Amino acid sequence: MSALATTVLAPLAATAAILLLRRTPAMLALAGTAIGLAASLALLAGTFGGEHTVLTLPGLPGLPLRLLAEPLTAVLSVLVAGVGACVMIYAVGYMKDDPEPVRFFATMTFFLAAMQALVLAGDWLLLLAAWELIGLSSYLLIGFWYRRPGVPAAASRAFLYTRSADLGLYLAVFVLIGTHGGSVIDTSLAGGGPAALAVGLGLLAAAIGKSAQVPLQDWLQRAMAGPTPVSALLHSATLVAAGAILLIRSAPLLPPGALLATGLVGGVTTLITGLVALGEGDLKRLLAASTSSQYGLMLVAVGAGVPLAALAHLLAHATIKSTLFLGAGVFQHARGSTALDALHGAGREHRTVFAGFTLAALALAGIPPLSGFFSKDAVIAAALGSPYAPLLGPLALAGTLLTGAYLARALRILWRGDNRPRPLPGLAWMGTGFTILVALAAALGLAFPALEAAFPVGRLPETAGAQAAGLAAALAGLAAGWWIGGRRLLGPLLGWARRDFAVAGGLDRWILRPALVLAAACERLERKLYHAVLAIGRLGLRVAAAIRLGDERGIDALIFALVRGTVGLGRRLRALQSGLVHRELAITAAGTALLWIALLASAWP
Amino acid sequence: MPLVTVTLFLPLAGALAVMALRRAPGAVAHGVAVCTSALTLAGALWMWSRGVADTGFTQIEEVQWMPAIGAAYRVGVDGISLPLVLLTAVLFLLTFVFSAGVRERPHTYVVLMLLLETASIGTFTALDAILFYVFFEVSLVSMYFMIAGWGHEDRQRAALMFFIYTLLGSLPLLLAILGLYLGADPHGFDMRAWIDQPPLAGGAAMLALVAMLFTFAVKTPVFPFHTWLPAAHVQAPAAGSVILAGVMLKFGTYGLVRFALQMTPAAFHEAGLVVLAFGVVSALYGAFAALAQNDLKRLVAYTSVNHMGYVVVAVAIAALTLDPALRAVALDGAVLQMVSHGLVTGALFFLVGMLQDRAHTRDMDRFGGLLAVVPLLGWAFVLSAFASLGLPGLAHFPAEFQIFLATLRVEPVAVVVILGIVVTAGLYLKAIRTVFLGEPGDAWRGMADLSLREKLTLAPLLALIVAVGVAPSWVLDVIHRTTATLGLG
Repeated sequence: MSALATTVLAPLAATAAILLLRRTPAMLALAGTAIGLAASLALLAGTFGGEHTVLTLPGLPGLPLRLLAEPLTAVLSVLVAGVGACVMIYAVGYMKDDPEPVRFFATMTFFLAAMQALVLAGDWLLLLAAWELIGLSSYLLIGFWYRRPGVPAAASRAFLYTRSADLGLYLAVFVLIGTHGGSVIDTSLAGGGPAALAVGLGLLAAAIGKSAQVPLQDWLQRAMAGPTPVSALLHSATLVAAGAILLIRSAPLLPPGALLATGLVGGVTTLITGLVALGEGDLKRLLAASTSSQYGLMLVAVGAGVPLAALAHLLAHATIKSTLFLGAGVFQHARGSTALDALHGAGREHRTVFAGFTLAALALAGIPPLSGFFSKDAVIAAALGSPYAPLLGPLALAGTLLTGAYLARALRILWRGDNRPRPLPGLAWMGTGFTILVALAAALGLAFPALEAAFPVGRLPETAGAQAAGLAAALAGLAAGWWIGGRRLLGPLLGWARRDFAVAGGLDRWILRPALVLAAACERLERKLYHAVLAIGRLGLRVAAAIRLGDERGIDALIFALVRGTVGLGRRLRALQSGLVHRELAITAAGTALLWIALLASAWP
Repeated sequence: MPLVTVTLFLPLAGALAVMALRRAPGAVAHGVAVCTSALTLAGALWMWSRGVADTGFTQIEEVQWMPAIGAAYRVGVDGISLPLVLLTAVLFLLTFVFSAGVRERPHTYVVLMLLLETASIGTFTALDAILFYVFFEVSLVSMYFMIAGWGHEDRQRAALMFFIYTLLGSLPLLLAILGLYLGADPHGFDMRAWIDQPPLAGGAAMLALVAMLFTFAVKTPVFPFHTWLPAAHVQAPAAGSVILAGVMLKFGTYGLVRFALQMTPAAFHEAGLVVLAFGVVSALYGAFAALAQNDLKRLVAYTSVNHMGYVVVAVAIAALTLDPALRAVALDGAVLQMVSHGLVTGALFFLVGMLQDRAHTRDMDRFGGLLAVVPLLGWAFVLSAFASLGLPGLAHFPAEFQIFLATLRVEPVAVVVILGIVVTAGLYLKAIRTVFLGEPGDAWRGMADLSLREKLTLAPLLALIVAVGVAPSWVLDVIHRTTATLGLG
């Protein structure tokens, strides 16, 4: 079997095996993930050697499904498989005491299979299908502890928000298939067509939903209700990454208007969610807001016309953010909570984990020589070098500054405070997954030159000015976050940031409530229609009743009267037939006389 | 061997056998029913294996009946009707398996259902308009007695409403059939002739079309003629709901394609925008009305209005476009949507019935946390609900994808109907959340999970839902052979 198929099928086979065997789910999941990782590494080696592979499967009439291995898809596939493997190793420890490992690992491996299908998709139909399936997997995983209060609502919200935005992808795909006569992604990348802007905005809408960009950002923070390995996977290489991946892949077909919109959405998001993270009171929710903010930076890079910079930041962010979440999970197991108030000093209890956490945080802030430095530098250089530099440049720098600030704030809380070290069950597994990711987060920057070499189309932009500005912003942010703290930095904005910068009640008020009102109106109309039909039915019955009444009082009465009259007449006539000879003789004589009179009268002229 | 005829009348033969065995215990009646419908399914599968022709009908069987008026016994299939025949056979077999526990007058129940099966297969295979009309009406009678005899609390009124509504609704079809008969030269009721050479033109064709549209709009049902549907569904027994939604609603959309589209194509092309508007409104209205429901069964019933609205949209798009390739896309979507809806809604009505058997209520707010108590039932519902909201990999997605694709390319404004998939997502998530998620209430802790009989009922449906969703080509290839060459006029 080809490496291309194995990449998708290995985790899928693991799902099936886990569900059928219902034992040793963790080991089956690890095996499936490892085989998938090996296959995607083989794929990467092949494509970097200049090999493009396509696998065609039957789909709809005229629209076959295609899997495609080229440098971009192979890199993303390795990212998914690699981060997936580390998270899976970690999860073995994290889920040690959970009563339902079968369901957990089956869903996780299904999630990986769907994500691999998404990144390797060579046609829009498969991409759309995989896009929705990762939505389903996320719903199931966010809602994993479905008995806990708040969890079902969070899962439903995540699915509903992303699905609403998916309409953009549906419409874009329909237009692309119509314009290019088929669903092959590569041929539609040429762009053009009458509705190019609509396509671009549709794709952007879908990406906004999945990557939790303004104004659809708030589902992501609530999605923290799921197990921590799920968050680590969601935020780094799967669900949320899908939005940025979609835009990176389709960047060539985005017209200038859509590019500007993408850059602005990303810039505004990085600013707003950075502020939210600064005021957040929960470590995992802080990291979630940070995720939106970092994907905002990637959208800025796409909008600036340098998708390669976005890809670099996507890769760096994936390793960093999964590290941060896995670290947070250790602290959560130690303290039984992720509220920042409960985590004071948790870092000092687990110094090794804290060291890895700090390393990842510094990488995300953009401190050299860690991976985030190179990628963030490329994003800032792209923003400053783009035609929209006056708009995008300051936003990218502000995002960088805020990144430093909220991370320093979190580090300080984790470090300062009471601490009583305690042993943690499952730490060996958790530590292994964590350590690999820390190493990747730190050193991934070294791989960027190879990445540039594989993509002949462009290079990562790099200017001394951008480097200096980015580093200055990062350092200033870190210093401010450590010494001043989030609340004082936010000042009057704190309350608003806590409410997620919701404008006038947010989306619930503007979309959800009108939908429910409309539904209630339909229901009222429905009752009216029902009663109208019943009324028509009743009218029919009334008419029938009236006719019956008419029958009874009119025709029946007439007939009965006739009958009564006849019977009465008969009774009276019966009196004549008495059987007495003298009386009957008299009647006969009278009758004959009458007859004679009548005859004579008629004969008279 | 006259395979179509044998398949068609097998259930009727089973019904006669049960009547002859009316002194035997109920179990015998159920056994006969299951065996007969299994044989019917075998017949349908055999028909499936024979396949369809590239153009027109195949597997035709014809016997003289009333030669003076050109009516004959004529049956046969094409790529539009064959999938529906298979769907009918599958759903009836599963219904008989599911209702093998019915203790209340089992003989009558089984006879009615078997009669209904013959009527349903007959409606899809008839190639003679008189024959079609007879089967179409006979199905009504059986369903009326099903609802009135084995329904829930307010069944008499619902049954009567269903009967009168659909009976009155089908009278215009009779007029249209007479009109087509008079227009045909030579006079006759052969549907193939009417399709090859539409007998009416101009104003007469438009009148016939309006009459047919009315009939099929009531049957499908299309807003605002749908009010009988929730009432009938809520009162019907679970098996009745499955057949009503899974099979009988398809009579409307099948007629829409077979009669309205194929016999009066020019008039339909003219009136296409009106039909399209009805379809769009119906789909959206159904979705929003479903969102407002608290009764689980009503909720599923209204989503039928939504899903069948998509079919109406697709048929209207097929009538509007002049590009045969696009018409094929729209009709592929329409026919596959009928099959998918039969499978998915069938599963959902079975599940709601199973819940009602256990809890004696359908009020969503009274449930909660059932996934922890009855995990198999719960996951089966989750899977069916996600299928119903159009998730890829499950049955509705390939159908709806093609419908929306064709809609956007022919009449871009109408693609607003796609909003329905978000609304259905919302309402099913709400249903799952209130009924199955959270902490289970004390009242339901002792609830039993699926029994063997229930598992046997659901497993084939769920497997088919996945099979159609993952690899739709096994159904679509059959459908596409006919739709790709469907000449109109």
